[in-house]
Amino acid sequence: MTAVETEALTRFYGDLCAVRDLSLSVDGEIFGLLGPNGSGKTTTVKILTTLLRPSSGSARICGLDVVRNGSAVRERISYVPQEMAVDVRLTGRENVLLFARLYGVPGPRDRTDEALSLMGLSDRADDRTATYSGGMRRRLELAQALVHEPEVLFLDEPTIGLDVAARMRIWEHITSLRHDGVTVFVTTHYMDEADRVCDRVAFLDRGSIVALGSPASLKASVPGETVAARITGDFTPREIPGVTFMGRRGDLLTFAAPPGREGLDLIQRELDRQGIPVHEIGRREPTLDDVFIRSVGSQDPAMPFDDHRFRLILRRRG
Amino acid sequence: MRRLLAYVGRDLTRWVRGRVALVSHLVMPAAWLIFVGLALPIRFTDHYLDFITPGILVLTVLSTSLQGGGLLMFDKVLGFLNKFLALPAPRESILFGKILFITLRGAIQATIVLVIAVLIGASLYSPAQYAFMYLILFLFGALFSAAATTVALYLDDHDSYAAFNTMISMPLFFTSSALMPYSAMPGWLRAIAAVNPLSIAIDGMRAVTAGGMPLAPVGILCILIAGVLAVCLHVFRHVTV
Repeated sequence: MTAVETEALTRFYGDLCAVRDLSLSVDGEIFGLLGPNGSGKTTTVKILTTLLRPSSGSARICGLDVVRNGSAVRERISYVPQEMAVDVRLTGRENVLLFARLYGVPGPRDRTDEALSLMGLSDRADDRTATYSGGMRRRLELAQALVHEPEVLFLDEPTIGLDVAARMRIWEHITSLRHDGVTVFVTTHYMDEADRVCDRVAFLDRGSIVALGSPASLKASVPGETVAARITGDFTPREIPGVTFMGRRGDLLTFAAPPGREGLDLIQRELDRQGIPVHEIGRREPTLDDVFIRSVGSQDPAMPFDDHRFRLILRRRG
Repeated sequence: MRRLLAYVGRDLTRWVRGRVALVSHLVMPAAWLIFVGLALPIRFTDHYLDFITPGILVLTVLSTSLQGGGLLMFDKVLGFLNKFLALPAPRESILFGKILFITLRGAIQATIVLVIAVLIGASLYSPAQYAFMYLILFLFGALFSAAATTVALYLDDHDSYAAFNTMISMPLFFTSSALMPYSAMPGWLRAIAAVNPLSIAIDGMRAVTAGGMPLAPVGILCILIAGVLAVCLHVFRHVTV
């Protein structure tokens, strides 16, 4: 039975299409849904966790339809939203025990102890969570999610706002869950973290999948090597033999160039000719960032910031 | 039911540990009892404290119910509601748990106010009379916590809800039979007070203290609760999925 399966999943907010024709099949892996803010990641997760109905298309969790068998789906999943909501007046143990009782697991106290120790929180379990750090609160939420041994775990931006050490620890825990047979469906906009941890990733842009595959295969699809240049001012893409301009993000330009020193020199010369100050230029292996920029083109939106659209997304997510 | 009680337990623990809120809702009813109940020169009764106590008990439950209306909205704003909605437990248990908690909290605070009233000289009644009074307070609390939760979910913004709360609580209290008997009211106020749901609870409790069995107010409160709960459930389902 496939853990997560969607067919032409689509969701509109009014006339705004947040998710468009999404078809996915995820099973026994850590699956990363990547993309910028507002690309439809959270909407997708909310549909899969039965918090939102799709406008059209269908989604199944362990073979069960998310609309028709909502409560059976919820028996098999856990969901950790990005807001980080733990009751600060309760202790860590009380927070987890609450969820054990709400899930109705047998032996809630023992299961709570197990989940807390799995997340390395046993020694602080009886402290109020008001005293917990951000990373500990996130691990506490993971303990809440794991107390009923879900088949599929949905994590929405699990490392957002955490320091580097806390992030690494969260990902270690997530990786060990996969080894225990849990399918993990995670959204993030940290490409480097997804690259290290996810078995497969999908890039979402304005609600549609623009690339899908293992990080290694996606990176291999970027031809040659990447040249990145940090500049100030405008850059006008021009024909450079053998070199493809892939896009611009902030002050960073990326090019695909044939292996070797030659491509870099050509690019350097072109930038000099345009009179652009170059702060930094260098060759590197392609990263998921490059894959993403290649898939969606420039990430600076051509459209002006749409306040109405932004508010609509925020409100629907709340 | 077990799940519903788990939600109630969570809210009770959070409430008891938030020391300021524990006391702040008691200050106003206690002040009414002491400064109005004891000090106001009144001609229509020689024991004004006994007359006003049912009104103050209802005021206590009213203010905690209205304040409690915002709790579910805060769970929504802070992300708790989404976590709860993704659980296999019946989603309605979130709503009913919240209403039960707010009602229980109102009953606990009313008990403290009642103790203060007795300490400063209110009459004591029989256990059966107290049981009946609590039944009325409980129904009244359920009615207003369901109504307040509905409004808060509908408004979906705590500033608007706080404004609504301030706007209705005092007018509701002053246009009820809490402070004076119908015979002492001007005609226009008597007309409003007669249909004010606070008066239904207050008059019912006064009938209990006079030795009666006020089944009509209990029946009316039950009918009102059924109506408000139906609307509340509809709004809850609408805002959740």
